[in-house]
Amino acid sequence: MTASQIGSSTRRFGGYERVTGSQEFVADLRLDGMLFVKLVSIDCARARIVSVDTSAARGLAGVVAVVTSDDLPQPVPRFGPVYKDRPILAVGETKYHGEPVAAVVAESKEVAEVAASLVAIQFEELPAVFTVASALNPLSPLVQEPELRSAGTLASTNVLSEQVFGWGDLGATEADLVIENDYCFPMVTHFAIEPHGCMVVSSSGGFEVWSPVQHPYLLQAILADLFDLPLTRVRVVAPDPGGAFGGKQNPKFEPLLCFLARMTNRPVRLILTLEESFQATRRTSAEIHIRSGFSRDGLLCFQDIESNFLLGAYADIAGRVVSKSNYLGCGPYRTPVAKIRARALLSHTTPSCAFRGFGTPQVAWALESQMDAAARHLGIDGLQIRLMNLAAKGEDVVPGDVPADGEWAQSVQKAASAVGWGEPLEPNHGRGIAVGIKSGATTGLSYSTIRLLFDGSVTIYAGTSDMGQGARTIFAQIVSDELGVPIEQIDVVMGDTSVVPFDLQTSASRSTVFMGNAILDACRDIQLQVRELAAELHGTALENVRIVAGGVFISEVKVSIPEVVQASLGRLRGELIGNGTMRRTDIANHPLGGRPAFFEFNCTAFEVGVDVETGEVSVIKHVSVGDTGKSLNPLQVEMQDEGAAIMGLGHTMMEHVILDESGRIANLGALDYRIPTSKDLPLSLSTYSIENADGPGPYGSKGVSEGAILCTAPAFASAVTEATGVVIRNLPLTPERVWRAIRDGASDSSTVEQV
Amino acid sequence: MIDALPVVLNINGLKYEFEVLPYRSLLDVLRDELGLTGTKECCAVGECGACTVHFDGRSINACLMLAIEADGGSVTTIEGIAPPGEMTRVQDAFLEHGAVQCGFCIPGMVMSAEYLLARNPHPTEEETREGLSGNLCRCGGYNRMLQAISSVSEESTP
Amino acid sequence: MKPFLYQRPGSLAQTFDLLSEYGSSARILAGGTDLIVGLRQQSVDASVLVDIKGIGEFLPEVAFADGHFVIGATTDISRVCENEKFRATFPALVEAMETVGSVQIRNRATLVGNVCNASPAADTVPPLAIYGAMVNVGGRDGTRQVPVQEFIRGPRQTALRPGEFVLSVQLPVPNAPLGVAFARLTRRRGVDLATVNLSCSIDSVGTVRFAFGAVGPRLVLGIERSGVLADSGAPAGDRDAALANLIAATSPRTDIRGTQDYRSAMLLVLSRRILAEAAGRLDSGQP
Repeated sequence: MTASQIGSSTRRFGGYERVTGSQEFVADLRLDGMLFVKLVSIDCARARIVSVDTSAARGLAGVVAVVTSDDLPQPVPRFGPVYKDRPILAVGETKYHGEPVAAVVAESKEVAEVAASLVAIQFEELPAVFTVASALNPLSPLVQEPELRSAGTLASTNVLSEQVFGWGDLGATEADLVIENDYCFPMVTHFAIEPHGCMVVSSSGGFEVWSPVQHPYLLQAILADLFDLPLTRVRVVAPDPGGAFGGKQNPKFEPLLCFLARMTNRPVRLILTLEESFQATRRTSAEIHIRSGFSRDGLLCFQDIESNFLLGAYADIAGRVVSKSNYLGCGPYRTPVAKIRARALLSHTTPSCAFRGFGTPQVAWALESQMDAAARHLGIDGLQIRLMNLAAKGEDVVPGDVPADGEWAQSVQKAASAVGWGEPLEPNHGRGIAVGIKSGATTGLSYSTIRLLFDGSVTIYAGTSDMGQGARTIFAQIVSDELGVPIEQIDVVMGDTSVVPFDLQTSASRSTVFMGNAILDACRDIQLQVRELAAELHGTALENVRIVAGGVFISEVKVSIPEVVQASLGRLRGELIGNGTMRRTDIANHPLGGRPAFFEFNCTAFEVGVDVETGEVSVIKHVSVGDTGKSLNPLQVEMQDEGAAIMGLGHTMMEHVILDESGRIANLGALDYRIPTSKDLPLSLSTYSIENADGPGPYGSKGVSEGAILCTAPAFASAVTEATGVVIRNLPLTPERVWRAIRDGASDSSTVEQV
Repeated sequence: MIDALPVVLNINGLKYEFEVLPYRSLLDVLRDELGLTGTKECCAVGECGACTVHFDGRSINACLMLAIEADGGSVTTIEGIAPPGEMTRVQDAFLEHGAVQCGFCIPGMVMSAEYLLARNPHPTEEETREGLSGNLCRCGGYNRMLQAISSVSEESTP
Repeated sequence: MKPFLYQRPGSLAQTFDLLSEYGSSARILAGGTDLIVGLRQQSVDASVLVDIKGIGEFLPEVAFADGHFVIGATTDISRVCENEKFRATFPALVEAMETVGSVQIRNRATLVGNVCNASPAADTVPPLAIYGAMVNVGGRDGTRQVPVQEFIRGPRQTALRPGEFVLSVQLPVPNAPLGVAFARLTRRRGVDLATVNLSCSIDSVGTVRFAFGAVGPRLVLGIERSGVLADSGAPAGDRDAALANLIAATSPRTDIRGTQDYRSAMLLVLSRRILAEAAGRLDSGQP
């Protein structure tokens, strides 16, 4: 019998491959006879395409094809995870900076690049929408043609969707203090170190597609739909992504590559540059207007929120980002009355999609900064105002929905003590604390198949994408404990729709809970079969055979599961196959289509020191505490939590996509879009987990990996305020922005009504 | 028409003689022509460090060096720092301390860490941060990398 | 990258031949850390790269003779930083060099290349100017010397004439006590391009020199001889006025790295700081 794997810091599956460079990412794979694709775009956001002259490019030796939308089926097919709005190539006009107008297919990467530079595109810049204000202005040009939109009054506006959530009668609610402010959260880019890319082979009436996609089965379904193929004719192989963070959820250029593979009858490959990856997807930016009412002693009376999220030219999954994050717009608090109006606005910018936190960092930036503003006005401590309003376990955060599912105050207390809350501070130092909750996945479906082979080794099939979170390791740990198989004898197969059973997606910190439960279910299936075999072997009734901690007990006799399989099936070299399912169905009329499976709760706290002359902020301490239910692999939980924390520091301190007046990305690429380096790591970074085994996942676990990015910005900004006295409501808090606020004496400018 | 030029390179202890187009980077040649795909490409402008290799014993960005420039020199890539099936202490420590998430930056990061420790077996934390600052990790594993490097440093005799 | 030819001359004479043969479509390749990026981003065009790393005349890499350090055109920044005598002589320049790129970049990038790239934000240029660096320009007809601040004539513009290239940068060892300091401001702590950078020196008779980078099309130099900046006891207002007077010659612009007013304000803040640091170095006998 092996020692328990659950709760131990088992080493990362695939770790050896990753440290030795033998892990094969999509760009490391080669297909015989493959051609190289280069996208051609113009140096403008929205423009009418006047003409495209491909003759010079076609004339270059080694060029196989130069394709524009004219060469595609007409009307040009469109696709998307929710709305079929994104064309294979730009049709008539470009909608955002970097949208491909043409694609070159050539025998080598260099020839493709040179040929792309020879494609002569004449264009005429058109008026465009780059901001929330412009998207809301009825006189602005429309981003999407009304005929592309679903019917309704919004079709002739730039509002993709508008939802109102809330409870109670706002008009009849009184408060002693009302704080009103506007907050901005800028566009940021995922910047996975692995740029996007894919390869396609067209064969036997279908396609084989290699893409490091988070949702291989969605890609398969979208391609089958586009080409009118049965699912079995589209095989998606999904190599482990080299970082995804939400940016690799949905199809981008795979449909184009399928057309190119068909046209050329050769394997085709497209690996984007980092710059092109910036232009492929981004985080949804937001402007949030918020009125918060409090009683004299600091209790929340109401929230009145108007969120405007700026999407790009195509919807991708961003409408869901807006609804899911705003649904929990009041955070983890008891909020007696709430009204949340959330709009998803289209613009002529990079299509935005999911990004770690799924809209919650944007909403929490406003909400948590309001808590601090109220605390300052009421003379209450930032810690105290949170503790007094935080929903206790079982209390509503959204009335009628899932109540608070954790002892959240424990996380807050832990963070406060770890950051040294209340201890004396050096001059120009400050501390801040904030909380955040994100809804876990709502509905969903995951299947797993497990094969227990006659020698006792195990293969797990799971449709999850292992993109850095270490899903393989967790799944193997579960099976090791449930079936009593040493971890070294377990293999985990993922990323191939022709082999692995369906999984809805890898997102929303769902894999441990959803796929983990499916795997647990598959283990139960095998355990039942083992009991049957053991009963047969020992000539006893099924009810006399029990399985405890991966061991088989026949009355007083104890044997291992592999021993039973060996004894029963070894001569024929057979195996046991277990199937497992985790399914959460839709709930009619629920605004999100289903209730959150769990909440991801985090408390983050900072101590910072500010150079008040330059605006530079030193992060002295950064503490993150997550309510994990049960950390199945504590090391992996800490790694992901630290990673989310550092990513949060990025959008808090330095990251923003800057657009010029023509909507072009001015800081396109690694030289001027800054993400944290090893030197930007806080002097001290620590993470903790609160484990009360109160989650819906295996052994009481909850999803992790997004928590520490939810409230980084407000906690940091609050610390800067304590250090300097200035209040900043636009991210990121660059040195210049902090300096300017100090120079201008930008103390709390909240609109305040005091009754 | 630009002709390919002959180069002789020692890569991971093996002598390679072949011809390269003068405008191909060392990175492209390693990955596309020699199949040494452990060295990764991300930014192609020397900012991310995913393509870090050692050239004549010094760490460089393979994206910013032409293959032809390397003629006559010796290159060590991630494939060449440990025998197959084995790991260096740095590689082992990266796994032990949980420094590896998606893994795409890791070969370059390991090459930077090896270079740092080869020149300075007992770096201060500040020196380690500086030594890794040319390598971006978007999974945010820096804290764990510092711990891993510190553990290797402590094992070696001062 | 668009195709180009590659030449690796073995001598200076061959290099000059190549430069005259190919004219302005030839580019000198030494470290390549700026050139390759330019070629890849198509901001630089070249039909031929002339790799000067095979030129025998360029050794040794950090030479000292007649009271001067000479840094050859192929000497990478890391090598210069490793030279203990150089470090001790030009600490502020070494600090600036150690902020250029990352370890990997400094292992390839040359000091001469940082000058020839003629970026207004080049970190080594302010301290090079403060230490009185001269650029040795070679041509078929001989060598000429140009002070570094005159060599860089504007963004991406140098004083090189057709057929010339830079052989080395030369730094005189200060012959009188001198305190020098360097500072820069960036958007993050790790590898970054400077929002502003600056260097200053102070000598024992109270003369103060400043060089400001990234705040104009070319380096801005200023000199203050009244002694007010050397007198740490002088009223802060007077000292700030003197610094403001020097800074008035700069013309910072707004771009994605910073606004005009932030850059101006930071010049004053950092000037105060490096002045104090330089004075401390003068007192402690460090150059």
